[in-house]
Amino acid sequence: MSGALIVTVAGLVGIGVYLITARSLSRIVLGFSMLGHAAVLGLLAAGGPAGAPPLAGAASDPSQPANPLPQALSLTAIVISFGLTLFLLALARRQNQITGDDLVEDDLEDRRIAAVDPGQRDYVEESAA
Amino acid sequence: MIGLLLALHLATCGLLAATGRELGRHGLLVAALPPSITTAWALTRIGADEPATATLGWVPGLDLELAFRVDGLALVMTLLVSGIGALVFLYAWGYFGSSAVGVGPFATALIAFSTAMLGLVWSDSVWSLFVFWELTSITSFLLIGHKHADAEVRAAARRALLITAAGGLVLLAGLVVLVDETGVSRLGEMGPISGGGAALVSILLMVAAATKSAQVPFHVWLPGAMAAPTPVSAYLHSATMVKAGVLLVAVGSPILADVAVWTSLGLIFGFGSMLWGAVGALRHRDAKLILAWGTISQLGLMIALLSIGSAKATFAAVSILFAHALFKAALFMVVGEVDVRTGTRDIGELSGLWRTMPLAFGVAVVSAASMAGIPPLLGFPAKEAAIEAVLGLTGAEAWLVGGGVVLGSILTVAYTARFVLGVFGPGPEPTPVHPPRPAMTAPSALLAMLSLAGFVAIGAVNPIVGPASVRIDPQAEVYDLLRWPGVTTAFLVSLAVVGSGLAAGLAAHRLGSGAPDPIGARSVDALIDGVVVGARRLTGRVQHGSLPVYMATMGATVAVVAAPFAWSIDGADIYRWDSPAQAVLAGLMLAAAAVAAVLTTRLGAALGLGAVGIGVAGLFVIQGAPDLALTQLLVETVVVVGFVIGLGHLTRRFPAVGQQWQAVRLVVAAAAAIGVAVALAGSGSSPVGQPPLEALTTQAVEDGGGNNIVNVILTDTRGLDTLGEIVVLVVVAIGVLALAASARPREAS
Repeated sequence: MSGALIVTVAGLVGIGVYLITARSLSRIVLGFSMLGHAAVLGLLAAGGPAGAPPLAGAASDPSQPANPLPQALSLTAIVISFGLTLFLLALARRQNQITGDDLVEDDLEDRRIAAVDPGQRDYVEESAA
Repeated sequence: MIGLLLALHLATCGLLAATGRELGRHGLLVAALPPSITTAWALTRIGADEPATATLGWVPGLDLELAFRVDGLALVMTLLVSGIGALVFLYAWGYFGSSAVGVGPFATALIAFSTAMLGLVWSDSVWSLFVFWELTSITSFLLIGHKHADAEVRAAARRALLITAAGGLVLLAGLVVLVDETGVSRLGEMGPISGGGAALVSILLMVAAATKSAQVPFHVWLPGAMAAPTPVSAYLHSATMVKAGVLLVAVGSPILADVAVWTSLGLIFGFGSMLWGAVGALRHRDAKLILAWGTISQLGLMIALLSIGSAKATFAAVSILFAHALFKAALFMVVGEVDVRTGTRDIGELSGLWRTMPLAFGVAVVSAASMAGIPPLLGFPAKEAAIEAVLGLTGAEAWLVGGGVVLGSILTVAYTARFVLGVFGPGPEPTPVHPPRPAMTAPSALLAMLSLAGFVAIGAVNPIVGPASVRIDPQAEVYDLLRWPGVTTAFLVSLAVVGSGLAAGLAAHRLGSGAPDPIGARSVDALIDGVVVGARRLTGRVQHGSLPVYMATMGATVAVVAAPFAWSIDGADIYRWDSPAQAVLAGLMLAAAAVAAVLTTRLGAALGLGAVGIGVAGLFVIQGAPDLALTQLLVETVVVVGFVIGLGHLTRRFPAVGQQWQAVRLVVAAAAAIGVAVALAGSGSSPVGQPPLEALTTQAVEDGGGNNIVNVILTDTRGLDTLGEIVVLVVVAIGVLALAASARPREAS
């Protein structure tokens, strides 16, 4: 496997994880995008070495053709991560319209559940209140 | 016929579920019908040469089937399940007054239990055995929890369900290994096995049996189950369901008899429960609890006898199983009647009932005498057979086993005597009694008469218990229950047992005793509560509501999961680059990504992302994937435009992040990156096979009619999948449109 691709994928994952742990939705979108790139490149790298485009009958190319299977899978991945990115962007924009910025706040309901003493009997009523 | 009977039961279940509320307690009389018919059928099967069988395909492709087989052993259990069942339904009709509420659902659950129990005892396939085993646990839970307004009752029902269901899982594991070891899934076709696998099967099946049959230390659910209405206690928790464990040991015996751990574990469970149960029966004041602990003790005796493995002991175990169901169900019915007619079951408060409830007293004395093994009742020859079986043993364990059985029998006589004296004996002031309820007395009287008739007409009992013992051990053929064995050693031992037991019982009755705290039950409850509280605490920890922390957790998980790949990295498989251009492009792209990550303006970040996307497209070209490169360029352009349209007008700079969190992010990101690198390098080192290039090429040209293999895969080979993908994109487009078009809230406009 190409060392250059391994480093690239690892680097993109690192940067992607760094970005999705931010509070700003726009940065999270960036991060998801990077992770999407990393996944596709990783898939291709795992499929085998670089080669000629896998076209039937293109015998004029002397090099071994690349593995077409991961390419077909990757196309799906690209398209779906594209859809995800656009949807996240739309969410970020909507969030901005409502709150004035695109920050993701903590879920208050979850905070309340975490704050209730788990030993008490009326736990359910308490956390539902 | 088997299928018809089960269908009849199921139809009755359905009928009662639909009309139970209107029928009220009369539903119980309707429910008594299927068990009565089944009993009649079972009676005609006594002495039949061939077992009745039926097979119902379930998932034929997986070789799963519901196979039933009514052999001698199943026939004994059928007589108990349906015969006593029919009586219990009648008894329950009398037990619940006309004003009782919730009897409709109760009747449904009770007949559902009856159905499940029949399925269990008839099962030949291990899979149907497991399914019906679990169904009895669930219906038992529903029946124990009948008075669910009471927190105590709910706790008892929960305890019973958790212990028996956990035992069910152990059973499943044991059956899986058993089928793996024997190669067949029908119990009747399994031959003896030995070795490590057999030892594992032995442990799993024996533990499963111990949970169901309430053997120490899994017995704690049974005393709690006495919170159920008394008909349930008489039916499930003495005569039938708790016998399922004994049944399992019985059908397991021919397969596992040669495995040492099977025998020793069975003896440990059996004798431990026999003695501890008897001690428990001597300590309690609640008449129902005395009987419950007595049941634990008797079940222990049966399991111990079956585990000994000799034909005589097996025969004795089956005889006791049969006799026990008759007298124990009758005793429970008597206690229920006493409870209903006096309002208490505390032997300290009851007095003088032998005069005021003479019929119930008679039933109790007859049944108790059968329990203590006193002639002329069925319990006597059964107990004689047990004592003879242990006297016949030789070797080191003979003394241990013999001593255990004798001691257990003495204690049994003792708690039996204490029970009769306590409930019916004279006291300072006779307890006031409500009018009699014939519907409650009749079934128990019938059972008591059967205990008597079983002794008098012992020739009718032998064809029932004989074939059942032969099913477990063919050598048991030679044994018969004897009305009068003559003055043998066993008889003398019996005499001594009864004598000393009566003396001990009298002493225990004089002594009186306080109701001990249910320590076992409490610790189980504490354990369950601990799990629940722990789960809540864990939920509070992990479901903290902070998205960044969730994300970081996922990143860290990637690193952890990838770590094992480090062992499969082979340096020889990794080369520097496919071409120098790849390395250069990769470097530039990573730099762009890093810039996009640290830039504090959104527009700059968006441009960085665009640069990364173009770099990825370039890498696709080098890899030999022009379709991907084209798609990538198109997509990236739209994303950057979307980014600028969507967020371009946002506050220009990203907000600052706390220093501590910043450090965590960096560490997690680095760990995830290393993890992915390790996983890639490790997985790349083990090529599974060469890509089927030729096949794919042929397929593309000949089937798909295209030269671009990737395109053919997408549009033809997996065209439906691509259609689904398009649907996803359309949904996304609709979502984006809806979000973009929605009106601005007033505050913002």
